[in-house]
Amino acid sequence: MTRRLTQGNEAVFRGAIAAGANYYAGYPISPSTEILNIASGWAAEHPELRFLQAEDEIASANAVIGASLAGAKAFTATSGPGFTLMQEAIGYAQKVGVPSVFVDVQRVGPSTGMATMPAQGDIGQVKWGSAGDYTPIAFYPNSVEEAFRLTIDAFNAAEESRSPVILLSDTFIAHLNEVVDLDELVASIEVVPRAIPALGDFTDAPRFFAGVLMYEHGPMAGEPATADADEYLRQFYAAKHRHLEVAARYARYEHGWNVEADVLLICFGIVSRVAAPLRDEFALFRPIRIHPVLGDELREVCARYREVVVVEANDGQYADMVELAIHRQVKRVPLLGGRISLEAVREGVDRVLGGGPSEPPIPETPHERGPRATLGVG
Amino acid sequence: MPEQAMAEMTYKDRLKVDLFPTIWCPGCGIGTIMMQLAMTLDELGLDERNTIIVTGIGCTGRMGGYLKHEAVYTLHGRTLPVAEAIKTVRPEMNVIVVAGDGDTASIGGNHLVHSIRRNAPVTVLCNNNEIYGLTGGQTGPTTPTGTKTLSSPAGNPNTPINLQAIVRSSPHALYAKTTVYHQIHMRNAIREAIEWPGFSFVDITSQCIENNGRRIGFDSANDMLTFFRKTYKRAPKDADHLAPFEIGIVYPADHPSRNGHVSAPAATAAPDTQVEPAGSIPSRTDPEPKAAPPTDDEKARRRAESVARAALMAKLPADMKLRVARREISLEDAMREAGVDPE
Repeated sequence: MTRRLTQGNEAVFRGAIAAGANYYAGYPISPSTEILNIASGWAAEHPELRFLQAEDEIASANAVIGASLAGAKAFTATSGPGFTLMQEAIGYAQKVGVPSVFVDVQRVGPSTGMATMPAQGDIGQVKWGSAGDYTPIAFYPNSVEEAFRLTIDAFNAAEESRSPVILLSDTFIAHLNEVVDLDELVASIEVVPRAIPALGDFTDAPRFFAGVLMYEHGPMAGEPATADADEYLRQFYAAKHRHLEVAARYARYEHGWNVEADVLLICFGIVSRVAAPLRDEFALFRPIRIHPVLGDELREVCARYREVVVVEANDGQYADMVELAIHRQVKRVPLLGGRISLEAVREGVDRVLGGGPSEPPIPETPHERGPRATLGVG
Repeated sequence: MPEQAMAEMTYKDRLKVDLFPTIWCPGCGIGTIMMQLAMTLDELGLDERNTIIVTGIGCTGRMGGYLKHEAVYTLHGRTLPVAEAIKTVRPEMNVIVVAGDGDTASIGGNHLVHSIRRNAPVTVLCNNNEIYGLTGGQTGPTTPTGTKTLSSPAGNPNTPINLQAIVRSSPHALYAKTTVYHQIHMRNAIREAIEWPGFSFVDITSQCIENNGRRIGFDSANDMLTFFRKTYKRAPKDADHLAPFEIGIVYPADHPSRNGHVSAPAATAAPDTQVEPAGSIPSRTDPEPKAAPPTDDEKARRRAESVARAALMAKLPADMKLRVARREISLEDAMREAGVDPE
């Protein structure tokens, strides 16, 4: 038993190792870089972990795909801009059915944005970042211990669903240090073994892993199906149903704080920790499985409250999804520009509950030059 | 040569002939490359259990579907990261990339440069038809200057990319140039490339009659092959660099030929190859293995020392503390100067 101070990013890496990961590819980007650093050090001492510092996130995402098809449990970690570059590969992994884990440590975007400040702006990108329709599974922890557990869940769900599973994090969770005993947790963890035979270990006939639609079974097997809607329906719904079935096994959420209150706050990741001092006043619904959206659970829980307020570090990305799920308008508190503080949550919740707008008051541009800007946290 | 004859008779085992005819246009050069690859695989005894094919997007990418091997038909341009990772995870496998010039040198150009830098032990067969064929005939990275295409109606204004220079930017990479007309040479080049332990690249000039050749004045695929026959000449066997319109296999400067036909004098770097980048900063990292991490006892001793030092510092006036912190003066000297009793 070793209780020790552990960083969120380190917990993600340790979770990956506990889940049997043996391939990591990545490209340095704040605030995910510690995962790359730790992976390279680990690989130097544990040759069973293969490590690649790729030339860019496009290469790291595709290397993860190649490694997974070759039989490895593979993962990568990045932040918003890198995650954008990976979307093409994630779409491929969705189409082909490549078990893999993509960690996205969110920072303020769009573009390079505020590189060291926390945000939750990739909720939509996870769902809709790549071309076409697919059903992604994504988790979002709010503590170091949960980061460890959910990384293992992500690897397991990836094998079960044969798809790229996303683990969301943010600057604060990534750099949060908490005392945990990961060794003790490992003992209680179940690890799902590899789902597909490695390249070269096929059972029937050599396989053709293609991003383009091909007939996979039947008399046409091996021929392109690029103009056959029937075949598209067969493959699309087979994948969708498989993903939804696996997601149902991981319908993780937290419904707590003062459940008798008449206002429900919906928040996740670091925001749920920052807002925790409001525990006496409000009920909390914290989705842990962010995608697919927890529709049934949200409908059931939200129905018990007079008001639902979604507090998130983006301009209402999850709030949109909640409204679609519960067919009811929610109030929104966007925490933008990295300002994730109890004061901002308090002020925002009071404002929207008092009938005010979700947009916070915008301070005027100062007329005089102030002290040099700080680089921020993280 | 009975051995050779047998090899040629059995190469069709490497192909999914039940899927023939292929989707490629009549007269296309890709089928020839596939046949030569199949013959080479057969000759080397490589099969679906020990050889993985990775292909890109475009006409060439379809080859993976016709070879009786496990194949990954990757995203456009992404063959090399996928292939390199497969080889890393399964080093016992032969990993062969088959991609067009657009896939390899344009959209995948950055991956090409970096897989070469890392000397990824994979083989790339580049179907270099100097055009984007599948999309109808747009300028590609290897399209010659002045060539009229759908996207350069006044003639391509740019210089084609120099694949030889890019591949040979690494002192470890093997580069071969061949054409679809020179089939025996192509097979030799593919074999040498597959057997090469590091990164190897076979640049195969081929014809796209439908979406390039006819537009630039060739009547038929045969016409284009005749052009290859008349224009491309074999480089001298010990060539360390291929001139334009030369075919040959260029081994890295510090490797003797493995093909048995060269006893080149001590190899020199090709003119376009800088073995060591100029002015690189030597690493200051200690090459010796790192010292063992401190024991708990050692950590405790260091901590006690640090605590004692902090206690002494607390006794100093602020300006002296600052000087000690800036290392302008040692702690011992500062204690003396300030007249503070360490006890």
